[in-house]
Amino acid sequence: MRDFGHVEDGQVGSVSDLHLWKRIFKMTTSSSHWLLLAVVLSFAVTFSTLALPYLMQQGIDRWILAAHLENSVRFAGLADVSLKYGLLVAVTFFTSFFQVVTLEWLGQSVMHEIRQKLFYHVTSLDLGFLQSQPVGRLVTRLTNDIQNMHEMFTSVMVTLFNDSLRIFGILILLFWMNVKLAAVMALFVPISALITYLFSKYARDKFAAIRRQLATMNAFLGEALSGMSVIQLFGQQLRSKKEFWILSEEYLQRCLRQIRLFGTFMPITEFLGTLAMAIILLVGGHQVLEKELTIGELVAFLAYMRLFFQPLRELSQKYSIVQSALASAERIFALLERKNKIVEPLQPAAIKDVRGDVEFRHIHFSYKKDEEALSDVSLVIPAGSTVALVGTTGSGKSTLINLLVRFYEPQQGEILLGGVKIQQFSTEDLRRYIGVVLQEVYILQDTLLANIIMDTNVTRQEVEQILDQTAMHRFVNRLPDGLDTVIGEGGHELSTGEKQLLSFARILCRNPQVLILDEATASIDTESEDILEQTIEKAFENRTSIIIAHRLSTIRRANYIAVMQHGKVVEFGSHQELLERDGEYTRLVTMDQVAVS
Amino acid sequence: MKNIKESNGEGDKRSHGVRALMSLVVPVFRRHRMRLLIGFVALITVDFMQLMVPRVLKVGVDGLSSGEATSSRLFQLSMIILAIGIIVGVLRFVWRNLIIGFSRLLERDVRERIFNHTLKMDPAFFDQQTTGKIMAHISNDLNAVQMACGMGMVAAVDGFVMSSAAIMLMLFINVKLTLLAMLPMPFLALSTRFLSSKLHRRFNTVQEEFGILTEFVRSTLVSIRLIKGYSMESFQTKTFDGLGKKYVRSNLQVAMIQGFMFPVSTLVGNLGLLMVLLYGGRLVVTDIITIGDFVAFTTYLYMLIWPIMAVGWVANLVQRGLTSLDRIYSLLSRTPLLKGVDRVVDRKFIPRFQLKNLRFHYPESKIDVLKAVDLEIKPGILGVTGPTGSGKTTICKLLARLYPVPDGTLFLDGEDVNTLPLDTVRSMISYAGQEPILFSDTIYANIAFGNPEADRDQVEQCAKIAGVHNDIIGFQQGYETMIGERGVTLSGGQKQRVALARALLYDRPVLLIDDGLSAVDVQTENHVLEAIRSHFEGKTVVIVSHRIKLLSMTDRIIILDDGKVTMAGTHDALLKKSSFYQAMHSKQVKNEGEPL
Repeated sequence: MRDFGHVEDGQVGSVSDLHLWKRIFKMTTSSSHWLLLAVVLSFAVTFSTLALPYLMQQGIDRWILAAHLENSVRFAGLADVSLKYGLLVAVTFFTSFFQVVTLEWLGQSVMHEIRQKLFYHVTSLDLGFLQSQPVGRLVTRLTNDIQNMHEMFTSVMVTLFNDSLRIFGILILLFWMNVKLAAVMALFVPISALITYLFSKYARDKFAAIRRQLATMNAFLGEALSGMSVIQLFGQQLRSKKEFWILSEEYLQRCLRQIRLFGTFMPITEFLGTLAMAIILLVGGHQVLEKELTIGELVAFLAYMRLFFQPLRELSQKYSIVQSALASAERIFALLERKNKIVEPLQPAAIKDVRGDVEFRHIHFSYKKDEEALSDVSLVIPAGSTVALVGTTGSGKSTLINLLVRFYEPQQGEILLGGVKIQQFSTEDLRRYIGVVLQEVYILQDTLLANIIMDTNVTRQEVEQILDQTAMHRFVNRLPDGLDTVIGEGGHELSTGEKQLLSFARILCRNPQVLILDEATASIDTESEDILEQTIEKAFENRTSIIIAHRLSTIRRANYIAVMQHGKVVEFGSHQELLERDGEYTRLVTMDQVAVS
Repeated sequence: MKNIKESNGEGDKRSHGVRALMSLVVPVFRRHRMRLLIGFVALITVDFMQLMVPRVLKVGVDGLSSGEATSSRLFQLSMIILAIGIIVGVLRFVWRNLIIGFSRLLERDVRERIFNHTLKMDPAFFDQQTTGKIMAHISNDLNAVQMACGMGMVAAVDGFVMSSAAIMLMLFINVKLTLLAMLPMPFLALSTRFLSSKLHRRFNTVQEEFGILTEFVRSTLVSIRLIKGYSMESFQTKTFDGLGKKYVRSNLQVAMIQGFMFPVSTLVGNLGLLMVLLYGGRLVVTDIITIGDFVAFTTYLYMLIWPIMAVGWVANLVQRGLTSLDRIYSLLSRTPLLKGVDRVVDRKFIPRFQLKNLRFHYPESKIDVLKAVDLEIKPGILGVTGPTGSGKTTICKLLARLYPVPDGTLFLDGEDVNTLPLDTVRSMISYAGQEPILFSDTIYANIAFGNPEADRDQVEQCAKIAGVHNDIIGFQQGYETMIGERGVTLSGGQKQRVALARALLYDRPVLLIDDGLSAVDVQTENHVLEAIRSHFEGKTVVIVSHRIKLLSMTDRIIILDDGKVTMAGTHDALLKKSSFYQAMHSKQVKNEGEPL
């Protein structure tokens, strides 16, 4: 399984953490009737499994060995017991089947619910947090961690519950049949519990070591395979061969160590069963001689012993599953509890037509402590005007936009849209009023139309109309099947320029009050650029627009230019005014920095 | 949402004979024959000793029922059981280590063979076999082979010995009772065979869907800025819900089979016991068998359940193992299209290439990417430009001998490259591409990749020439900074420059820069080229670019269009005679706002 190079260190949860258990069981409340059914089925399975050897014993003692009775009576009795036996066999089979399916259904629905909740929660969290986390870690929370918890639901609930029930049931039955022999059997519980506990502890370490090595080996392999041409061009085949050999050899050694561990423990647990058999024969046989025990009971003891050791062996395995599941649960809950730094207003401003003027007032912001990305930025953008943000990489252009759409919260100062503080809008509304055309675009593997419409209620006609008005139909006509072209992986691959055009189309169909364009830095093909220019011209008419601009042609079209440097707006004015000032703007233009920043 | 997925070719069809497939593993079997021999002897001994236990119990129970048993006799019997237990334990340790260990050794052998084979393959091979596919061979297919040769072999031998012995012993007690008790057994074998292959398929579906789910989460989180930018959180959650429900459904289908398969073995065992109780009981009553026989019989019956289940299971394991082995065999029998000649070349070459009427199409397509290219590449700096898809990158790849060329079309210093060993040509060349591949290692190790013996000064000097030194020392750990998920993520431009530094340090007579500076700003680009010019006097540099400014600094420029060289000359000459070049020039000058 892929783990994106992110290996969780062998963390285990505390099994005695009651608070955690409470939270886990709380999650099942919505399907508590299924849980109840599973418990009932569990009792039924245990009861019928244990009743079978009892019936066998009854058959032997009461009928088979009852030499004093007529043979015909013995046969009839035998037939009667056999009928009961057959019925119980059927009951065992069906209850086991339904128990497995019920638990799977229970576990899966609970996990689905948590997964959905967690997914929405994570995607809604603030960017600051999300970008501080390695993606692999968050993916693990949503996939493997939830899978771990599910493991607990099915295998643990089935087996832990069934098995302990069975062990207790057998012990009670044995004590009822014969106290002395039962006491001897009971001795095996702590012994095998200890052995299996030790085994599972070592086995877990060994497994973790194998998994880690496998991840390392696969990571190396993945890189070597996708970088094979580099390896060959730089003549490093021999080195790669040697490096892989070392990794592969280490993996082999770890696997062999695990085999040795299993080879030691498995025979020991099997031996415990044989030991128990020898003891039953010795002690039980004595009792038969003393007439304290019947032969049928001795046979039943031997049968129960078999039923007794199997769950004992499995209990330890389940124990380690519970541990890792609890660790996963803890991590999941911690993530669910993580507060969003972007706080939604309690009563969002409900304004029908938001004016398009934007104002930044004395904004201070830093991503990391002591490194101000923006310091005291103030900027007024009148409704309907176009402002170009210009400056070198890291001057704060993108940061300004990040704050405007509330990806981050400024440490000081405020931002107003149409005279209203942006914190007063719900983020959903805010991001509808302010449309951002990013350089990249998230592509759904679907048609172009579906990629433009997404979850809005725009019709095909409306899309076509908007595209016509903004010269974008030229872009659509270029694709093999127009709006119905399937794009993305396996479909038509969009070029850099086309991606930006798609992004533009998507935003235009949402008709935002404020339009923000993060112009592509990389060179794009001439035709896309041509279309883009026309679209910008049409789309910016009568709409407040902010462009992070890299091309002089775009900058020239703006009403105002804000020149940014080291997190400050250092110059503001029209192209002509700024050129006459002969300051930073002039320097940028002549230094080529404008073209490619 | 539509899912466009390529099928993973999980068919059961095999394209090679069993004999051919066996040739892959038989040598390994032969090499470890002593290990296997001892292992199987231990395994079979364990089986026979285990069969003795019910015999001992029978003697005990019979003795008790007839009243002949004494305590010392009972003690004796218990000690025999205990002794058997100890010997069995030791032998089990032996066979587990030897046989299961063998399967891991075999796995290691094949794994290394696959990797070493891929080291010899050319890009044409990797164009078809994605990294994911080869990885699947190395993990899934190898796992299937290992399982078949480890647990599969054990289960087959163990099952065969145990079942035939148990049946023999049961027959010895009573033939009719044996037949009756065995009645449900074939049903168990058939149902395991049928269900376990079905389970395997459904389990694969679950795995696949888990993969899709994971990939969806990953791609969402990787692009979380875009998701938020376009307010797609709810939309994505809805799509995720659909995927999650599908996953739940597949899991339930697996549970249905599992819920059936395991109880069914208990069912069959219990039905057998029912027969023993009913008919065996009558036999005891009528004194045909003893009560001890009756008890032993039930024990044998228990012993049979596992081997009978194993029959179905082993059949699946073997089939799966063979299918996987077949896929591995296909992979290992692939040969690179690109074959160099094996001979010793002791002459020195001047870094001079001639392309004569060179036509080329990629192996998987029929369209010529290069159509009759005639070109001479000499020491000095050659600029290559032209529209997308005109064949610029292809020329670089052919010079680096990544794809095969027809005879008599590409010459290195007068000799047809097809008559030279691959390494002879490749050792002339250093390459930096547009989307460079770096490895998850330190920046230092990445730069020194082709030249691990280089000292720190050399590494830093190349980083300086490539204009990335200042970026590197800006990182907290400087040159020791890790690249990748566990370290920093480099920007596109930084990656290109690190790759360029790597190519520069791998100091070869020919340097190919295939658009390797596209994400680097113009100023840096100019510095880099100036530095290269002064440091690599007398070498051949080929540089692919769209940027007029960069091209103007080269000695000679060719313009490619639709696989042909349409124009060649200096910057000034092209400005006069090429309309394409003029258009490029005026567009870039207009945008950059600065006359050249």
